[in-house]
This record gives sequence, structure tokens and C-alpha cells, in this order.
Amino acid sequence: MLKNYLLTAWNVFQRRKLFTAINLACIVLTLVVLLVVTALLQEAFYPSGVEHRSNRFLQVHMMEATNEKGTAISRSPLGYRVIDKYLKPMPGVEMVATVSGIEPTAVIMNGASTELNMRHADAEYWRVMDFKVLAGRVPNEDDVAQGRMVAVLARSMALKLFGDPAPLNRKLETGGQTFTVIGVVQDAMHLNAYADIWVPVTAYPNTDFRHRMTGNFFALLLARSPDDLPAIRAEVHRIAGKMDFAGDPEFTKGEMWADSKIDMFARTLTGSKDINPDTGVVIPGGKIIGGANLVLGGVMILMLLFMLLPALNLVNLNVGRIMERSTEIGVRKAFGASNNQLAAQLVLENVLLCLAGGAIALVLAAGVLWWMEAAGPIPYLKVGLNLAVFGWGLLITVVFGVLSGVVPAMKMSRLDPVHALKGAA
Amino acid sequence: MIKLEKVSKTYFTDKVQTLALKDIDLHVQKSEFVCIMGPSGCGKSTLLNIIGLLDRPGAGAIHVGGREVQSYKDKHVAKLRNDTFGFIFQSFHLINDLRVIDNVELPLLYRSMPGSERRERARAALEKVGLGARMEHYPNQLSGGQQQRVAIARAMVGQPGVLLADEPTGNLDSKMGAEVMDILLKLNEEGTTVVMVTHDENEARRAHRIVRVFDGQLVA
Repeated sequence: MLKNYLLTAWNVFQRRKLFTAINLACIVLTLVVLLVVTALLQEAFYPSGVEHRSNRFLQVHMMEATNEKGTAISRSPLGYRVIDKYLKPMPGVEMVATVSGIEPTAVIMNGASTELNMRHADAEYWRVMDFKVLAGRVPNEDDVAQGRMVAVLARSMALKLFGDPAPLNRKLETGGQTFTVIGVVQDAMHLNAYADIWVPVTAYPNTDFRHRMTGNFFALLLARSPDDLPAIRAEVHRIAGKMDFAGDPEFTKGEMWADSKIDMFARTLTGSKDINPDTGVVIPGGKIIGGANLVLGGVMILMLLFMLLPALNLVNLNVGRIMERSTEIGVRKAFGASNNQLAAQLVLENVLLCLAGGAIALVLAAGVLWWMEAAGPIPYLKVGLNLAVFGWGLLITVVFGVLSGVVPAMKMSRLDPVHALKGAA
Repeated sequence: MIKLEKVSKTYFTDKVQTLALKDIDLHVQKSEFVCIMGPSGCGKSTLLNIIGLLDRPGAGAIHVGGREVQSYKDKHVAKLRNDTFGFIFQSFHLINDLRVIDNVELPLLYRSMPGSERRERARAALEKVGLGARMEHYPNQLSGGQQQRVAIARAMVGQPGVLLADEPTGNLDSKMGAEVMDILLKLNEEGTTVVMVTHDENEARRAHRIVRVFDGQLVA
């Protein structure tokens, strides 16, 4: 039966070339957008590249301090003291890394000024992240402890500044400080990795940063196993409640959240904050019941909505196409096809068309991603259509096929055979 | 084999009711060749469609093989149509997107049957109507008479007990029409029940019995 269905579908597509082309164009355009977005989302949130351990690390990006009455609230990135005094000693983690947010700076080389994105990081950062070292080495504990003025460059920046992919031991001056290049790493655009240059956390011009509760730092907490993450979340919450704001009497109570990448994104969007200290999950009825599931659900709904418009258009086209075939539907009914069998045949045809569109869209999406990498609208983007994206693409395609095929198929399969045979659908 | 009791059918449009059949009692015996005749619009095709379970009566009962069937659900009606009836239409109604052999195979698709057996049966049916050499052709590559013979092959491939033919020679010239009639008579001689709608008195005279319909009612 399947062979007959496939044969019919193939002949229908060939006979109605214009319809097939319009349908394919509609499907391809929609799927290319969805595939590119899916690939970017996957690259951003799925463990991959330098952040391939992100399934077992949490990020503490933000802390909140409130006064006793809860009337004054201060939110900011962490100060070094919070990480050093409260998070580094915490039990149940494999290691805690410290890294600053992006710090724009400039370097003058050969009389030309180049803007750079800099990060200050400790030695653990290089172990939590998994940069591909292309030349030299990354800073170790000794470099950090001694406050050595060493720097690691991203490959593109090394080439831009020195015209050399491995400018080891070369000097560069920025912010009134001179650094020696000790290593070059592969470009990376991941959330916690993206930068042009990295220097030790101890390379600040003075040591004031060590004593601040607020600052420009965040912590990466690497768990021994993904199963430990809820306990770590709870521990961070507990620690936050005991932080001492002695240096700043206005504030008496602190809060911090250890988030996965997607949870952090959700928190940025929703501001959700209330977490059960025992389970580490957001408390229902809190300020916002938010988190990863909310974001994922939202993304799914947006994707479905995005597919809905072309799907509705396809439904219209399909009804027209199938109406032309009402006699065939009548004949098949006369010879024993049930409504369900006919609906399955018509949906299958649509799914096949969508799969063909999916295959074309995959190739085009790969081309678009290649262009995005090459033309550089997103710095250091390194993203391809890997198997997971292909799987998503396939799923999206089938959903699209069913979505745009099932309504006309159900409608047409219920045609009265006598009317169908008269071609009067 | 097939029994209709007090079958009536009314078509409704926005403001008009049209009585297509009224109180039809008809009994078609196994291996009988029955011709339904009557003027255009008298309800012949409606009667044939109701016999073949393509249409449902507004009132009355239909018995097929001794079972009352008008209350059957779609799935069971589809199965009964597949097992019991073969349809031949005036306009052939072949699927132009499929080759001749695939058209003939169509009724067998809705049975649990291996592909090789389906193909073999379709081939045999086409050879029986003299079109063994045209299996790979598409319908629009054949003449009207050949297309109707393909339609007959399709109708008989599932070895149904009853062939229902709605003016099968209506679109054919007299020579091709005669060929088609010969095939139907031969199938009837082999035991297949045939119910045929026709306008042609000469064709009707070759049947065992003629049923005449006028204004939706059977007349003597």
C-alpha cells in the first residue's frame, strides 16, 4: 500500500509542478528560518564546544542585596569577595571558577587602536571551560597567585593584532598595563567564553577588587555530576542568606541564584527568584514561576506560531489540490478505502513534500550558517548543522507536514463518495 | 444476495426537497444479471449507489448476504464494499496519476495481501480483458474502450460477488460497447452477479431481468 501511496504522491507532484514548487518554496523558507534559529539556540544552550561541560556547571551571575525592611534592593554582578569568601569554600562542588564579565578595552599596535573584549579569570576557569589551545598555554595557579601580566588571545585577535596565529612572548599594552602573550586559543562565542583576550584575575592595577561584595564577576560552579546540581543550587541559596554585609550597613540580606545557562536566560527574561532551598526549584506562587521550562515552552510556542501561518497557507493550497482529486477519493472509497486510510494517504503525501522541503532547507540552512560564520554578524560564531540540529529539523519538518496536511486530509477523507465521484467536492 | 426493503431517498438543497427514490423493494439473486432502466433523472444511479453502499437511504433496509447493513460504521461499510462489490463507471474513473497495473491493483490495497500476490492478480485480471500488454501504460494513453476494460479489470480483480455498472457503455462507440457487454456477460456466466444501469434496450435484453424506474419508483 505504501508503495502505491508513494507512487501516487510522486506522480501528483510531477503533474502539478507549479503547485509543488510553491509548496516547496513555502516549506523551505519557513524551515530555513526555524533550522537556523534552532541551531543557534542549540549552540547557545546545549553543552557544546568550550562549554561542553555545561550540563554539570551552574553560573552565579547576579546577587541581590536588600535592607531589613525589604524596601531597598540592589542587584549587581558578584564582587570578588563573594566568590572568594563564600562560594569557593562551598562543599559538594568539584571546583569554582571566577571570571569577569566582558571589559571593553583598547590596544594600540603599530600606531592603530583596536578595541578588545577582555576578561579577567582565575586558573580554575580554564579547567571548567574547555578551550582548544592552539599555541602556548593558558594561565595556571602560579600565574594567578603571582599576579603575572600574561595574556591569552583568541586566534582571530592574534592574527588581527600581530598577523601571526602564534605570537608567543609578544607584548601588548592596554589600559596602561603591558601583558606578555603566553597562549592562543580557538575563537569561541559561548556565553561564558566569548572574549578577545584573557588575563589573570589578579592582574588588576590594584587589589581593591578583592574586598568588594559587588563587582563585575561571576562564578562557575562545576559539579561532579549533573545529579548534584539541585543540591548546589540549594547550597548557594543557603550561603546567600548568610552573607555578611558588614561593610555596607544599608543591606542586611543577600540572595544569589545558581543557574544553568537556560535558567539564567529565563531569569533575565522573567525575573523569577523564589527558590526552595531544599530542592533548588522555583517556588510556585513566588514572584514569577519561571525557569528553563518556561523559556523552552515559550520557544516551542513561538516556533509553532511561526509554523502556523505557512501551515494555514498550505492547508488552503492543499484543500485546492485535493479537491481536484475528489474523483480519485471517490474511487478509492468505492473500492474499499476507509476515511482513516484516505486521511493517512493524504497526510503522507504532505509529509513527503515537507520532507523533500526539509532536505532542501537543511542544505540551505547549512549555507546560511556558513555565511553567518564567514561574514561575522555574530562574533566568533562557530555553528553547524550537526546531528541534533538535523534531528530537530526532521521533527520540525514532520510536525509541519502533519500540521498542514491533517486538516484538509480529514476534511477530504470524509467526502461523500457519490459527490466525490462527480468531482463535486 | 442483495435485498432492498422500502428504500427511500430524498435529497435536500437549501429550499428544495427532491424525492429520488420511494419505497423501493428489490431482490437481486446470486449470479443474476439485472439491468436497471429508466429516463434520465428517474433515480437509476441513486438506486445503484444505494445497492453499492456508496449512498445511504433515508428510509428502508438494505440486506447484503443476509445481513442488514445500513447501520454499519464507515470502516465496516468500506470493508463490505471491498469484499462484495466491484464498480464500473460510465466515465471509467481511472486514476490518471497511476499506471494501468496500479489502477487495477487498487481494490487489493485495502486487503491484507502480499504485494507479489496483488501484482499477480492484477496482471491476470488485465490479461482476462485483453490488456496484458498495456500494464505499464497510463490511462490517458489508452482508448476509451481500453480504459473501460481496465475499469472492468479493476472491478473484478478482488473477485467480488457483485459487479455494479453505471452505464458502462455510455461513453463508448457501439463496437467497444459490445466488447464491454461481452466481458460483463462472460463474468456473469462465471457466477458474478451483475447489476447494470443502461439506457440501451438492446443491451438490457441480454440481461436476465430488467428493472424499470420512473420518478423514483419501480414500475412493472
